[in-house]
Amino acid sequence: MRSARAIIIRVGERLLSSLPALLGVLVVTFVLMRVLPGDPAVFFASGPNAGQAEIDNLRQRMGLDQPLFVQLMHYLRDVGTGNLGNSLTTGQPVLTDLRQRLPASLELTFTAFTLAVIIAIPLGIAAAMRPNSLIDHGVRFVCTLGVCVPTFVSGLILIFVFYYILGVAPDPTGRLDIFVSAPPSVTSFMLVDFLIAGDLEGWMAAAKQLILPSATMALFVIAPLARITRASMLGVLSSDFVRTARAVGLSSVKINIVYALRNAMLPVLTIAGIMFSTMLGANVLVEKVFSWPGVGSYALDALLSSDYAPVQGFVLLMACIFVIINLVIDVLYGIADPRISVA
Amino acid sequence: MSVITLKHVRWVVASNPLTLVAASGAIIIALIGVLAPWITPQDPLATDVANAMQPPTTAHWFGTDQLGRDIFSRVVAATRIDLAIALSAVSLSFVLGAVIGGVCGYVGGRLDRVVGRVVDVLMAFPLFVLAMAMVAALGNRVENVILATAFINLPFYIRFARAEVNVRRDSGWVEAARAGGENDLSIILFFLLPNILPAMAVQVSLNLGWAILNAAGLSFIGLGVQAPTAEWGIMVAEGARFITSGKWWLVAFPGAALMLSVLFFNLLGDALRDILDPRMRT
Amino acid sequence: MAARNGFLKPIVVAMGVLALAPAAQAQTRAETLRQLTGNNINTLDPSMPGATREAFGVSTSTYDRLVAFDRKLENGVWVFDRTKIRGELAESYQVSADGLTITFKLRDAKWHDGSPVTADDVKWSLDRAVSAKSLSAGQLGTGSLTKPEQFKVVDAKTFEVSLPKPDRLALANLATPLAPIINSKLAKKHATAEDAWAQEWMKTNTAGSGAYVIESFKPGEQIILRRNENWTGGREGRLPYFKRIIEQTIPEAATRANLIEKGDADIAIDLQAGDLPALQSRGKVKVDSTPQSNGFTMIAFNTRMPPFDNIKVRQAVAAALPYEAMFSAAIFKRGLPMFGASWSEVPNGTFPQPMPVKTDLEKAKRLLAEAGHGNGLKTTFTINVGSAAITEPMAVLMKEALAKVGIDMEIQKLPDAQMSTAVAEKKLAFFTEGSSAWLPTTDYFFRTFFSGEQRWNYSSWNNSTIADLTTQARYELDPEKYEEMSKRMIEEYLKELPLIMLWQANQDAVMTPKLDGYTYWFHRQVDFRDLARR
Repeated sequence: MRSARAIIIRVGERLLSSLPALLGVLVVTFVLMRVLPGDPAVFFASGPNAGQAEIDNLRQRMGLDQPLFVQLMHYLRDVGTGNLGNSLTTGQPVLTDLRQRLPASLELTFTAFTLAVIIAIPLGIAAAMRPNSLIDHGVRFVCTLGVCVPTFVSGLILIFVFYYILGVAPDPTGRLDIFVSAPPSVTSFMLVDFLIAGDLEGWMAAAKQLILPSATMALFVIAPLARITRASMLGVLSSDFVRTARAVGLSSVKINIVYALRNAMLPVLTIAGIMFSTMLGANVLVEKVFSWPGVGSYALDALLSSDYAPVQGFVLLMACIFVIINLVIDVLYGIADPRISVA
Repeated sequence: MSVITLKHVRWVVASNPLTLVAASGAIIIALIGVLAPWITPQDPLATDVANAMQPPTTAHWFGTDQLGRDIFSRVVAATRIDLAIALSAVSLSFVLGAVIGGVCGYVGGRLDRVVGRVVDVLMAFPLFVLAMAMVAALGNRVENVILATAFINLPFYIRFARAEVNVRRDSGWVEAARAGGENDLSIILFFLLPNILPAMAVQVSLNLGWAILNAAGLSFIGLGVQAPTAEWGIMVAEGARFITSGKWWLVAFPGAALMLSVLFFNLLGDALRDILDPRMRT
Repeated sequence: MAARNGFLKPIVVAMGVLALAPAAQAQTRAETLRQLTGNNINTLDPSMPGATREAFGVSTSTYDRLVAFDRKLENGVWVFDRTKIRGELAESYQVSADGLTITFKLRDAKWHDGSPVTADDVKWSLDRAVSAKSLSAGQLGTGSLTKPEQFKVVDAKTFEVSLPKPDRLALANLATPLAPIINSKLAKKHATAEDAWAQEWMKTNTAGSGAYVIESFKPGEQIILRRNENWTGGREGRLPYFKRIIEQTIPEAATRANLIEKGDADIAIDLQAGDLPALQSRGKVKVDSTPQSNGFTMIAFNTRMPPFDNIKVRQAVAAALPYEAMFSAAIFKRGLPMFGASWSEVPNGTFPQPMPVKTDLEKAKRLLAEAGHGNGLKTTFTINVGSAAITEPMAVLMKEALAKVGIDMEIQKLPDAQMSTAVAEKKLAFFTEGSSAWLPTTDYFFRTFFSGEQRWNYSSWNNSTIADLTTQARYELDPEKYEEMSKRMIEEYLKELPLIMLWQANQDAVMTPKLDGYTYWFHRQVDFRDLARR
C-alpha cells in the first residue's frame, strides 16, 4: 500500500517537473522552424499559376504575417487548447494526422522492440555465461554487424531480396495489403484489431507486412541490448549475493534465472526504455523506405517542405512519449527493485 | 582508480581475438584516411560520361558511377572526409560535454539544475529530426553536418561527465587536492577530468561509428555533404537508387567501406571498455 | 496511452467500403487499377492553394468541366491535343464570330447524388473560380475570365460566357482542372458566413458529376475511387473501363518500380530515368514515353545580378555547358534536347523548340574575356533536394566544364521549400528548375516565364519588346500574324538568353503490359478515364 502511494506521488512529481522541459521543446522547435530559410507560403502557393497574391493570401491565412512573438503566443494558446495547427502537406489538422499515424509507428516500434528483446536478451545471457568463449565473441560480432549498416540500406536490400527476388514478402507498401479489408478499428493496432474481429487471415496479412520493417529496425538495437544484458549479467554473477547463494548450495539454474537474471534486468530496463523512445524517433528512415504511414515519415516530408505545424506537433508528441516512457521505467524500476519487493 | 597495465592489455587482446582484428582494421582505415590524396589511383572527381556505370574491371576495380567516376578512388577519398566528420563531431561533443558536465557535476547547485533542465529538453527531442532541422536551417555543408551531429550527441556526454564527476567530487584525493590549495578550476581540469577520461574514451569510440551512420542518414534524405565531394553516405544513398537496375557495385563498395569502419570502431570501443574497466574480467 | 476512441478512422467520404467482402474484392482485381506515386494527394478541391499535381489528377476524374481537350496518337502514344476542344459537361459549344461570346449547351447529366446538372450550377462554379481566394482565379485570369458578370445563365441547359476581348485561351482555360463544375446546391449547404464558397468542406468532400466517386481518402497515404455508373461525359459517352481506382503514395521510386514489375501495381509515371533502361530490357513492363511537350528543364541566370546581368557572361556559360554529357548522364537521353539546333533564322513560332546553342569552349573563353572576366569568376549554382537525382549529376558536370573556362562554380543543394522561396524572392544568381505550362502556346510561355515581377519569371527578365508582343499576341486571332509575333519573341529570347533551355524530359509511364490507353496530359497526371485492361 505504502509503496503504491509512493509510486503515485513519484509519478505526479515527475509529470509536473517535466512540464518545463516540454515547454522548452515547444519553444525551441518553434524557433528552429522559423529559422529555416524556407517560406511555406511560397512553397505551397507554387502551383502552376500562383502569383504574389496567392502567396500573401496563404501567408495571411497561416498567420505568418504576424511578428514572431505574436505567432509564438498564438501557437502556445492553440496548443493549450489542443489545436496543433494544420498540415499543408496533407491538408488535414495536425492532430488528426498524428492520431491516424501514431498507432502505425507505435505498432512498428513495439514489434521491432519485442523482436530485438527476444533475440538480444538470450544472446546477452549466453555470452555472459561463458565470457570470452567462442559464443561470446560470436554474439558480439554478429550483433555489431547489425549496427553497421545504415537502416535505409538494410531496408532496401531486404525489400529487394525478400520481395523482388524471392517473392516471399508482401509488397512493402504500408500496414496492410491494399486488397485486404481492414478490421473495424477498435485499438487502431492492426494486429490487435484483427484478433478482436477474429480474422486470422487478416492478422497474418498484417503480421507479414510488419516483418521486414521491424527486422530492419530491430537490427539496430540488438547490439546495445545484448551488450548491456551481458555486462549486467556479468556484474551480477560476480556480486556478493550470487556468491553467497552459490556457497549456500542453491542450484545453478535457480541462481542464474531467478536471482541473477532478475537483478541484471534493472539496468537493461533503463537502457531498453531509452532505446524504445529513440527507436520511435529514429524510425523516420525505415518508415520512408517501407512507405509506412507513421509519424516519422510524416515529419520528414513536412520538414523538407518547411511545413511548420506537423514538425512542431511531431516533436511535441515525441517529447511527451519520452516523458511517459521514462515515467513507466521509473515505476517499473520501483516494482522490480528487490529492495522493495524482496526485502 | 584503475591502473591499466600492459599485461592487462595483453590479457584482453589474448582473450578476445576480435580486438586485434578491430584495432588493426581501425588503424588501416585511419591510414587510408590520412594518405587518401596520395593513394587514389585516379582523380575521384574526374567524370567520364562515355564510361558511366561500368561494372568492376581491371581499370576500375570497383566499377564506375553514374558520371563515369572511378568508384575505388572515390571510396578511398571518402575515407578521409568521413573520418574527419566523425572525429570532429565526436571530439566536439566530447570536449564540450566533458567541460560542461564536469563543471556542473563539481559545482552543483543552481547552475547544475539549469543545465540539467536544458539537457532534459534536448534529450526529449527526436534526435535525427533535430539533426535534419539543424542542417536544413544552417545550410547543406560539411561543417554543419559536424555541428548537428555533435549537438545531438552533446546531452549524453554532459550527463555522463556530470554523473562521473559528481561521484568523485567528495572523494579523498579531491579533498586532498583542495587542502593542498588547488583552486576549483584546476581541480576540475587536472584532477577530475583526466580521471573520468578513460570511461569517456569508450563512449567516443562507440560514437565514431554512430556519427558516420548519422551523416549517411542525412545524406540519404539529401541533407549531407555537397556534391561532388566523395562521401560514403552520399555514394550509398545514390547507389541504393540503382539496386533495382542490378547495378550492385554502386552501392556495394561504398556500403562495405562504411560498414567495415563502423564495425571496427564499435568492436574497438567494446575492447577499450574491457581494457579500461577491469570489473568486466571474470 | 491514446489508443481509445476513433483513433484511426479514415475519412470515408462515400459509403460502401465496408460493404465489400474480401471475396468480392478479389474478383474485382482485374477491374481495379492501382497507381503508385511518390507524392501526396492533399485535397479533393483542386483550387485549394497548395494543391499537389496528384490532387489535380484525381479531380479530373471526380469532377467534369464544361469542355475537354481531345487526344491524338503520336509515335504510338496518346498525347493531348490542345487544338481540338470537345464538350464534356457541355454537349456542344459555339464561339461567336467576333470571339466575344461562347455559348454552351449542357447535356442531360446527373450529379453524384442523382440530381440534375443545371446552368445555375455552372454559373456558381465559375463565379467561385473567379471570386474565391484560390488557385482558380489566377489560372482563369490568363483567359480573360475574371468577373462573375461574364457568366450568364440563359436557361436551365444553356450557359453563356462573355469576354472583354477575344482571348485565345478563354475556352482552353475552361478545360483545365481549375475550372471544375460543382454541384452548387450540395456545396452551398456546407458554406458558412466566413467560407461562402465551401472551400473548407470541399477539401475532403466532392460535389461533382465526374466519372469516379470517392470511396475513401487518406491524405498522404491513398485514395480509392469507385466508378460513377451514370456518367455520360466521356468520349462517345462511354463509361471508363476500371470499376475501381487505387492511387497510393509510395515514397521510394525503387519500390514503385519493383511493384509494377512484379505485377502488383498497374502504373506509375514518376520512376527514375536511371531505372528505365533496366526495366525495359527485362521486358516485364510496358513503357509509354513522351517528351513533356509543354514542359522544360532549364538553367536560369538572374539577369539583374552580377555577373549574369552581362549578356556576354550568359552567352559564355551557354557556350561552355557540356550539353551532350548532361543529357546522357542526368536523364539517360530520355527526352527531347532543346540544344544543338543549327538554324540561324527562327524556323517557326513553336516554343520551346531546340535552340542553336552548343558547346564551344573557345567561344566561351573569348566572350568571358570580352565581358571583363578573363581572369575567371566565382559563382554558386543551386539545385533542390527533390530533383537531386537528376540535377546533381548535371551540376557536377557543369562544375567540371565551367572550370575549364575559368568559372569556379560551387554547388548548393537546398530543401525544396527553401529553393522555392529563394527563387520567388529572386535571391539566386544561377540555378536549375523544371516547369511546364498547361496551355502551351508561345505567348503563354513568354507571359508566364519571361515577364513580370513574379516567381515564374526565373531570370527576372525585363524586356519591353516581349512585354508588348505578349499583350498583343494574346488577342491576335489571325494565325499568320500570331506566328510572326511568336518568332519575334523567340528571336528576342535568343538575343538576350535570359535562361538556357536544356531539354524536355520524357514522361515515362511504366505499366503492366496489358494496360492500354494511357494518355500524356498537359497536367502531367494519369487520367483514369482513358485506361483499360486488355
